[in-house]
Amino acid sequence: MLRLLVTGASGYIGRRFCEVAAERGCEVIVLGPAPSTGKFSHAFAWRLGDEPRPEAFAGIAAVIHLAHSWASDAQNGASSANVNLSGSERLARVAFANNVPRFVFASTTSARSQALNAYGRVKYALEERLLAVPHAAGRMICARIGLVYGGPEEGLYGQLSKLVRFTPILPMTGLDRKVQPIYIDEVVAALLSLAIDPLPRRDGVSAATYVLAGPETITFGNWLRMLRRAHTGKRILLLPIPLWMALFACDLTRLLPFISTVNRERVLGLASTEPMDAALDLAALHLDIDPPMKRLNLLRSDRRRIIVEAIAMLAYVSGKQAPPRAAVARLVRGIERQDAQPLGLPRVVTKCPALLRAFEPLWPSVDHRLTQRLHLAVMVVESMREQFGGRSNIGSLFGQAALEAMAVPFRLLLGQRYT
Amino acid sequence: MTTTSFDADCIVVGSGPAGVSVTFPLVDAGRRVLMIDGATGGDSLANDFFKPWTRALGAQLEALVPEDGLSPKLRTPASRQIVGDFIQATNIRGEGFVAIGARARGGLSRIWGGFVCEFDERDIVGWPFSIADLRPSYKVVTDRIGVSGSDTDDMADFFGRSGAILPPLPIGSSAARLLKRYRAGSTGAEFALGVARNAILSVDRHDRQACDLRNDCLWGCSRGAVYDARFDLIELKRHETFHLVDGAFAIDLARSGGGWQISTQDGRRFSAPRIVLAAGALGTAALVIRLLPNTPTELRLLNSPVLAMPILVPARLGRSADPKAYSLAQLGYRLRYGSAPTDYITGAIYEVEGLPPSSFTARLPFSRRAGTDFFNAISPALLIATGYFPGTCSDNKLRWERHGDRISIAVRGGTDPELPSKLERVIRRLRKIWWQLGALMLPGTSLATPGTDVHYAGLFAMGHHTAHGSTMWGELHGAPGVYITDGAALPNLPSKHPTLTIMANADRIGRHLARIHSVEVGEGPAKCSQSPSSRLCDRTSGLRPSNRRRFPR
Repeated sequence: MLRLLVTGASGYIGRRFCEVAAERGCEVIVLGPAPSTGKFSHAFAWRLGDEPRPEAFAGIAAVIHLAHSWASDAQNGASSANVNLSGSERLARVAFANNVPRFVFASTTSARSQALNAYGRVKYALEERLLAVPHAAGRMICARIGLVYGGPEEGLYGQLSKLVRFTPILPMTGLDRKVQPIYIDEVVAALLSLAIDPLPRRDGVSAATYVLAGPETITFGNWLRMLRRAHTGKRILLLPIPLWMALFACDLTRLLPFISTVNRERVLGLASTEPMDAALDLAALHLDIDPPMKRLNLLRSDRRRIIVEAIAMLAYVSGKQAPPRAAVARLVRGIERQDAQPLGLPRVVTKCPALLRAFEPLWPSVDHRLTQRLHLAVMVVESMREQFGGRSNIGSLFGQAALEAMAVPFRLLLGQRYT
Repeated sequence: MTTTSFDADCIVVGSGPAGVSVTFPLVDAGRRVLMIDGATGGDSLANDFFKPWTRALGAQLEALVPEDGLSPKLRTPASRQIVGDFIQATNIRGEGFVAIGARARGGLSRIWGGFVCEFDERDIVGWPFSIADLRPSYKVVTDRIGVSGSDTDDMADFFGRSGAILPPLPIGSSAARLLKRYRAGSTGAEFALGVARNAILSVDRHDRQACDLRNDCLWGCSRGAVYDARFDLIELKRHETFHLVDGAFAIDLARSGGGWQISTQDGRRFSAPRIVLAAGALGTAALVIRLLPNTPTELRLLNSPVLAMPILVPARLGRSADPKAYSLAQLGYRLRYGSAPTDYITGAIYEVEGLPPSSFTARLPFSRRAGTDFFNAISPALLIATGYFPGTCSDNKLRWERHGDRISIAVRGGTDPELPSKLERVIRRLRKIWWQLGALMLPGTSLATPGTDVHYAGLFAMGHHTAHGSTMWGELHGAPGVYITDGAALPNLPSKHPTLTIMANADRIGRHLARIHSVEVGEGPAKCSQSPSSRLCDRTSGLRPSNRRRFPR
């Protein structure tokens, strides 16, 4: 079993990476904060900048370094005090000193020495530093990742999704910038391939830098329109504004209450993004990239399924047919934060929610997906007692007991369907 | 980097129960006290939630997460925030241990269940002082925070009688039934049951209103009936010699000149001749570890293993729930299980009406639908009893590693190998007792993960002569001038809830500090601390002590 050491495992990409790697049969060891839901076998305490413990590297086939300190970018810019620089270099040195054969470093398509945002400059400087670490040749791989979308609404994808959902008119900078969206699972598959497969050779030599980004570029403005359409089915009016105005607006969001803060770094990153050629690298990794339009349409239908399923679950746990909209919205948000995939309940179950009983596992388990979602549904219902109302009486328990008894064989058969 | 211009006699780290308790005697004696607190703002006592659902789930739905085995008290949005901020700031990791601290104004009192009891002389065997030294402080603290309960029933002596006890609140019908049967029959000398002693007001006092039985204690009391340390801070802020610094999360402690200097996360520095640590046992540990020699790199951390058991009162089945109730402990009990003085468990009994059903349905062997109905139908007849074991039944290790300036801390949880046999004995005995009291112990009794009790003690024990031990005044042996006043200083942990004792001990240490300071600067003893019998400033009456001196600025 291949053993992988992952940093940044609790982040947007890291969490998904751990899940997929575990599904593919790898043993995932986490260095630093561990994901609350993902599957991993052990976690070592660590923070970027700490000297990692040598035992963390025992038998490790590859280190996947996804951790990044945004706080240090904001505080120190690309100066040498930035903990991303010293911390990542230290990590790589210790890894190579412990004979780790491969080190995959998550960089960015905005990695350039003249990038407007500190993030791009830091990642660029780090690529150079990491490739210069002793024994890095042939082991160090820098993956320049493009604009990632899909999965749980976190990171930049989460911020953009919230933004386009929130308003039909959006003043924005950098609308004509070319971006290269890539789906989160595609990034994860590529990272995994870079970590465990034999290194792809390009023109006969194995390269140290790979671009993991959509092969086709689209403008940022079009990307926002697509996101809006995918999330709400509606159009959006984009008002181009100059960069200084956008930065000013960012600063403003920090002062205004009730509005989530927009990060200056993110805006600068968008403003300075330049397309990079990804097609060759993706081909070398044997990766087929779906056009974002197709993926987003799937996302939209996924979301619709999640809503339908949420309605069914609320109806099931409360015993009331039409749950209030607010309850559905809250449950959907709770589900999407866990994982943004519908369970795939059959239509007959969503039409007749009482059947959900047959799919509950007989023994409660904390990481059963259906159980988790039903738990969230119960929480939503109990937080809105006025709307759902009613308390059950002893008499109704006899009916429940009869149904419960009848459901047992079904639960034995079907209970592990939505794990 | 800034240094404070407030010239403090002493710096108190933390605004929780220990912090405020040590500060009162100091400022009453005219000492200049600088309190630094890691929280930013959060002074508002008004209940800032507009809609009921946000109280349960949080405005950002932060509490809408899958079942994680935490007690309902720790699952509320506010608790999640308070504990989450602390863990993030200190980087303390639990391995088989739920490491809890609070980065919030008022500290751990914000997630306290309000259960109050005094230790007695058998509980503090081996401590470097006697119970008589603590009693005056128990009185001061009890009178200050407002404690209601019974001072005549079978548990009154067990809970202690040092302070004035406010009349009890009406208890729930199921609990009342249990108590009635207990008083009628005989359950043996090893078991005692009585009305719970809670830090909850049953009469209006100053700015705080009495409990009006709305049954939502879990989510924060909008009337201020349930004590938290923020009420004391309001009072402290009226003193001119008290100064509170906001958003100053202490990360380092070092000698400087003849005194000590504290550095905070945001780069500020504060110095004073004396430092009083009251950051909660784990928060204090994160600072003190920096002062300890390089070995050992682990300390024993005591906690009280706690079990929770559902009990059904069949006679209450089919009845309706009490329309008015409070959701803190209704009853308290004590059960002896061995011959040693501390071989007893202390427990509280709760009605479940004020608790969210989801935390129960997740553990029932039914489908969620049936589970919800089942719970709703039986909840008027359902009680939850907790049972705390003494600290000797725990076996936790707090370990740390240095990485340059940074220290990472992990707590490995464990229990004494003999705990399972004791547990079995206790459960068997309790099952019988509940039955005698007309109640049925339901299946599902379980021991909580170590740490969830948040009864932490033993790290820098008073009276232990090691580098990490402290004097009878909580002054760390290896670092004279650094005083530990929270749970970390308690040498051992009986099964009783320790919060009141932590506060009383902090008060005792505060009095000592006020006294030695007057000796040093050649003042006569402050008016407030003359003789043991009259050394107490009266704050029950709500009158401001008359001996407050204006300190020159």
